[in-house]
Amino acid sequence: MVTDFSFLFQTMAWPLVLLLAWFLAERCYELWHIPRVSSYVAVGLLGGLLNLPGLTGDVPGLPFLANVALSLVLFELGYRINLRWFRHNPWVLLLGVVESILTFALIYAVTGWFDLAVDVRLIIAALSISTSPAGIVRVANELRSAGQVTERVLHLCAINCLMSVLALKLVVGYWYLSTSGDLVLAAFGSIHVLATSVAVGALLGVVVPWLLRQRGTHERSVTVVFALAVLLLTTMSYGLKLSPLLAALTFGIVARERRVHLTNAQRDFGTAGDLLSVFLFVYIASLLNWADVGTGALLGALLIVVRAASKVGCSLAAARLSGITERKGLLTGLALTPMSAFAILLLEQTRIYGFAPAVQVLSAMAGMMLVQELLGPVVTQRALMAAHETHVTKEG
Amino acid sequence: MPLETFKSSKSLTMGVELELQLVNTYDMDLSSSANDLLELLRRKPFPGVVTPEMTQSMIEIATDIQTEHGPLLAQLREIRDTLVKAGDRLNIEIAGGGTHPFQRWFEQRIFSKPRFQELSGLYGYLAKQFTVFGQHVHIGCASPDEALFLLHSLNRYVPHFIALSASSPFSQGVDTLFDSARLNSVFAFPLSGRAPFMLSWEEFANVYFTKMESTGVVKSMKDFYWDIRPKPEYGTIELRVCDTPLTVERAAGLACYLQALCRHLLERNEPPPEEDDYLVYTYNRFQACRFGLDGMMVNPKTREQISIREDILATLRHLGPHAEALNSQAALDEIERTAARDGNHASYLRKQFAQSGSVEGVVRASVEALRSGPA
Repeated sequence: MVTDFSFLFQTMAWPLVLLLAWFLAERCYELWHIPRVSSYVAVGLLGGLLNLPGLTGDVPGLPFLANVALSLVLFELGYRINLRWFRHNPWVLLLGVVESILTFALIYAVTGWFDLAVDVRLIIAALSISTSPAGIVRVANELRSAGQVTERVLHLCAINCLMSVLALKLVVGYWYLSTSGDLVLAAFGSIHVLATSVAVGALLGVVVPWLLRQRGTHERSVTVVFALAVLLLTTMSYGLKLSPLLAALTFGIVARERRVHLTNAQRDFGTAGDLLSVFLFVYIASLLNWADVGTGALLGALLIVVRAASKVGCSLAAARLSGITERKGLLTGLALTPMSAFAILLLEQTRIYGFAPAVQVLSAMAGMMLVQELLGPVVTQRALMAAHETHVTKEG
Repeated sequence: MPLETFKSSKSLTMGVELELQLVNTYDMDLSSSANDLLELLRRKPFPGVVTPEMTQSMIEIATDIQTEHGPLLAQLREIRDTLVKAGDRLNIEIAGGGTHPFQRWFEQRIFSKPRFQELSGLYGYLAKQFTVFGQHVHIGCASPDEALFLLHSLNRYVPHFIALSASSPFSQGVDTLFDSARLNSVFAFPLSGRAPFMLSWEEFANVYFTKMESTGVVKSMKDFYWDIRPKPEYGTIELRVCDTPLTVERAAGLACYLQALCRHLLERNEPPPEEDDYLVYTYNRFQACRFGLDGMMVNPKTREQISIREDILATLRHLGPHAEALNSQAALDEIERTAARDGNHASYLRKQFAQSGSVEGVVRASVEALRSGPA
């Protein structure tokens, strides 16, 4: 009987925690306007702290599901990227690239003050470039926000994610080269993964819209087809050891260029997207090891400050040149605060493919992740509100 | 506060105002971006006037006072190019059209300016349904009595302007079967419709307006949403029934058609306007809204039915000498092509819908029509 009970508890823990997270998030949003994703994260963190059975154990399939959830978000983010905008306003692209490089360099330099191996420092720097697409897209959609800060945050987030994947894969390639001296393995670790992921995503981005056009598909079905295509992309990436995140982002960007319109009723991939995002945030948060948070507190605090300073500084510097006010530039930089879901999954991916230092990095960054995951979405939300880009405006 | 004195201006001068849509580039919904766009536009001199409107997803542009078609069109094109360029820098598309085909009004934000806040407080959901986009044409009048004479003489031509400019067949995601769905939103306002029949400014200002003001219903001329209203501070009459066309070329054409028509009316060879003209007014207006150029109108003087298209073509035949005098033959050619061959922009948008199969495709077509000139 005892074993039965524990088994039952294990199987029920997940759905119960997700339900709790959902109710709590709705309540906190009503009461204090706390972004729903922050509440999901809080529940996940508590679950991790209590060490709920079935929650923290290595349940097979959960990382995959999380990747699907994030890939859907990345597809949606990619779909909002307008490549022609970069031609009309190269400052936005330039800002994204320069800021990514500067963040990488600064974080690498700062981590030198701590007792960390070079490859760990490089990876921390590469991950620090990234901005959480899940956090940002969710918050932006929750507020139905529209305007220059929103537009720029989404575009910069995509650039950050691309640059982060690029940097990480190069670092991993470098690690293979330095540990094994095997150039082929090193090349496989980086160039192949990058190029093939982009190619697969782009291919799907051409084929799926073409298929949809042949069928003259109804709007609602368009969403279903895209969601299934993302699922296909994720499984394929697992099979071929590619980056599902990079592939999904490319898929979205290319699909948009093919001009199949998603209706705005289907933002966030509707109800299915809501469900997966509750899971994603709870799951990611439950991965954090609380023991690491204490030891990495100082490093975490420093990383947060340096990363934010780099993003805000660059955004502020480019504001006027790129056609917005300094105030909106500042808010754009701040809105880029959320980090982690993307970084953690990227790291997981790398770990699964046999990259040893990944575990060390995760523990070194635990403190930073904790704060960014929990409070990042709040900062984004407040920044968008301060920019008056949200649906509800009550100023005089 | 009594109505301000009517400022005399040069007869037959004109000015055009266009309310334009701001659209996002990824799902073609309205984009609440007026503040961002205006902020960018403030950095350089603007070739005209640009102002915020009721909602954040709309801006209004206005030309200077113009006398001829050529310079008017040149200025409108310059304004358009400046706007499109600024929009490109901010990832915002700009489009004409009387309605946005699928925006959901409850998601639009009311612009935060005291007068607009007051309006939305008063009209509730109507204020948001008022996210419609019109073209206003001002015609300068030498005297207030001339203004009222023109205002009422034009009553029988109002359906022409509705049918020619109509560009709002879609609303809330569906084909409304109206060529101008926009006007239905305008008619919902309590003080919309026609101006009271009075040909003396003295009587209009000191009797009618004073009485209206004493009821507390209105404070200024701004509170009247009439199809044509006098604008004393500019010394003009303002025609407000037109949808914003998809192109600035059509907008200039409409303005100059009105100008030529006013010149014709001022010769006073037509029978003078009278209250009974308005017996058929709302019927004609409905026909124009619903059926566009194919609508049937009743001539208020002869009581004969004629298709709006035929009536426009017949009117154009009288306007030849005026077009020559005003140097606006090109504009009248545009109007004739529209009436006789091309059809209005509502029919253009319906064709686009049939081709692309989606209301998003319709917005895309509007965006491209504004950019690249005649559709």
